Amino acid sequence: MNEQTGSRAQGSRRDDVADVLVIGAGPSGAVAARYLAASGFSVVALEQGHWPDANEFPGRRREYELVAQKRWHPNPNIRDLPRDYPVDTKNSDINPLMYAAVGGSTTLYAGHWTPFLPSDFRVRTLDGIADDWPFTYEELLPCLEEIEREVGVSGLPGNPAYPPQRAFPTPPLPIGKAGRKAVEGLDRLGWHWWPGTNAIPSVPHNGLNPCVRRGTCMTGCPEGAKSTVNITFWPHAIKSGARLITGVRVREIEVDGRGLATGAIYIDENGRERRQRASVVILCANGIGTPRLLLLSRSKQFPDGLANTSGLVGRRLMMHPFSAVLGVFEDELDGWRGPFGQLVESFEFYETDPKRGFLRGAKWGAMPGGGPLGVTSFVGSQIFESDEGGTVEEVWGESLHKLVERRFNHCLVYGIIGEDLPEESNRVVLDPELTDSDGIPAPKVIYKVSENSHAMLRFHVARCTEAVEASGAIETVVVHQVPDTGWHLLGTCRMGADPETSVVDPWGRAHDVANLYIFDGSTFPTSGGVNPTATIMSVALRQVQHMIAERRLQEAA
Amino acid sequence: MQPTEKDRLRFASLADRLLPQWRNMPAASAVRVHRDMLDLILEVRPDLIEDFFRGVRGSGEGDPSEAINMLYRNDHAAFNAVNLVAVAAYYMTDEVRAIIGYPGQENAPYNPQETPAYLMDGTLERVVRRGSLYRSTPQG
Repeated sequence: MNEQTGSRAQGSRRDDVADVLVIGAGPSGAVAARYLAASGFSVVALEQGHWPDANEFPGRRREYELVAQKRWHPNPNIRDLPRDYPVDTKNSDINPLMYAAVGGSTTLYAGHWTPFLPSDFRVRTLDGIADDWPFTYEELLPCLEEIEREVGVSGLPGNPAYPPQRAFPTPPLPIGKAGRKAVEGLDRLGWHWWPGTNAIPSVPHNGLNPCVRRGTCMTGCPEGAKSTVNITFWPHAIKSGARLITGVRVREIEVDGRGLATGAIYIDENGRERRQRASVVILCANGIGTPRLLLLSRSKQFPDGLANTSGLVGRRLMMHPFSAVLGVFEDELDGWRGPFGQLVESFEFYETDPKRGFLRGAKWGAMPGGGPLGVTSFVGSQIFESDEGGTVEEVWGESLHKLVERRFNHCLVYGIIGEDLPEESNRVVLDPELTDSDGIPAPKVIYKVSENSHAMLRFHVARCTEAVEASGAIETVVVHQVPDTGWHLLGTCRMGADPETSVVDPWGRAHDVANLYIFDGSTFPTSGGVNPTATIMSVALRQVQHMIAERRLQEAA
Repeated sequence: MQPTEKDRLRFASLADRLLPQWRNMPAASAVRVHRDMLDLILEVRPDLIEDFFRGVRGSGEGDPSEAINMLYRNDHAAFNAVNLVAVAAYYMTDEVRAIIGYPGQENAPYNPQETPAYLMDGTLERVVRRGSLYRSTPQG
């Protein structure tokens, strides 16, 4: 267990009652802690992981690609580190991905910065399906612009896929040879493209170094150039007095006789049980960890789990089914060069067109093909599978040499993020047998990819294939609906005005518990068809600003 | 668990079935996948050790082609470990990287203030001229 405190927190003791307890030190928790501490709240944050050490990131080492498949894999079940909790995925089409650390899963994210669009907040009104959000794109925009300044987003203003907004704080990253190849096809087809917008600054910004295109974003950036909140937010929060305790695992949120949260019980790395009391509790443990903790916090008053009168805690899990299209070209494309990161993005087929046979849409991000070991597998799927009767030499051997010669340095990959519509049958529950290393019940994920998602991905794969062919691809490879792609854990504690159909109110406060809040992506009523970190952080800022403004009205234990 | 000399030589013979000499590409054993690279991989991927040694030691001393095919048919986990170690070691060597033109992950500085070609040749302008794609928030 380690603790970092700022000067204003010196002298505070562990048995003090904090004004606010934040559980989880990822993007939403960091936003909450920073703004609350700066406004004079005493803040304690608990994080199961530790501070990431950039010197441990493997991107400068020869074995980078090999360890990316294990120690730095985003699937906690594969990584199997002491600070990870296991997830039962036997009944899930997609494996949830996450990382336990200050900075959370962004430690390993690609940094695609793609805020939700106006239609994403009005899905029911526009498309007659799912739900509207309790606020609009325009209401959230000021928060987005403030977050983008802190994050150091790189990008080019004027993207016609979005309404006009304030310019990004750093210039766009180079799109490179692979990006230019993607543009050739999209331009030929007359389809939308834009240089990639990324949470990776191109010039020094807010403690971040500029990107040097090393291309190892997804195993942690050893250059300190990928925007993660351990660099951009937590140092400010701690300087303002927040206490961040790492290496501890929360097992229960406690309540008093009035049903108000009084704090949390957590277990330190020595197995000792500790208690942190607080006037207000904010959950920021992601779309799996947050419902897990609420379901673990059963009591006489809350026999079905805390804040679960609606029965929706853990339900409506959305993880963005993902497909990929790889194009192979005659030209050399510097396929190992970053950012990794999106070089180019396309929203050509983002908005609903009912004639396509499905509702909603998807965003494409063009990325480089990776190193030589990467081209022998492809976004989690083995390319080489011996047919019945084939010999090893026929499948590997010269075939392997030929494949690497053809593909290495000659590939670009389109990743397709499709909107995942909420379904109550897709959910997180507590596993009856599996536990983490502290004996706490692990989450079990029950999730099926919907027919709408299958139809959407089939359509987008076909259009993406046309795009790479228009770019001059001599070979295309499609991987449909890849399992190890559950980066985006959303929807399991829905936000809404009606306590019967939502877990938290439009400001993130639990309908059932007046001093319990949820600020992470689990509150999202719908998932959009984009990478959600920009929106998660913007919504967290909106909610914390409201909490600060209404502090005198806050009920507390 | 450390590889013996016998383990190294057996692994090299199996690796040559997966990565034989082909055109200008050397065979796996010619770039010594069974020496320093093997040691490095077993150090950074201890999860592979059990399956790797089961595959190498269980493959006997007979014909390497028969052995690697038998391994593939009968013990997929061991085959996968031997295969991954061989392929990873091969592409981590300086010799092979030089041949395929892979410098490893490296810094590639650039001038962020430089005007990108797509802004000068009209490519992006065509996107802008096609107009907005988003649907506005419905009023009311």
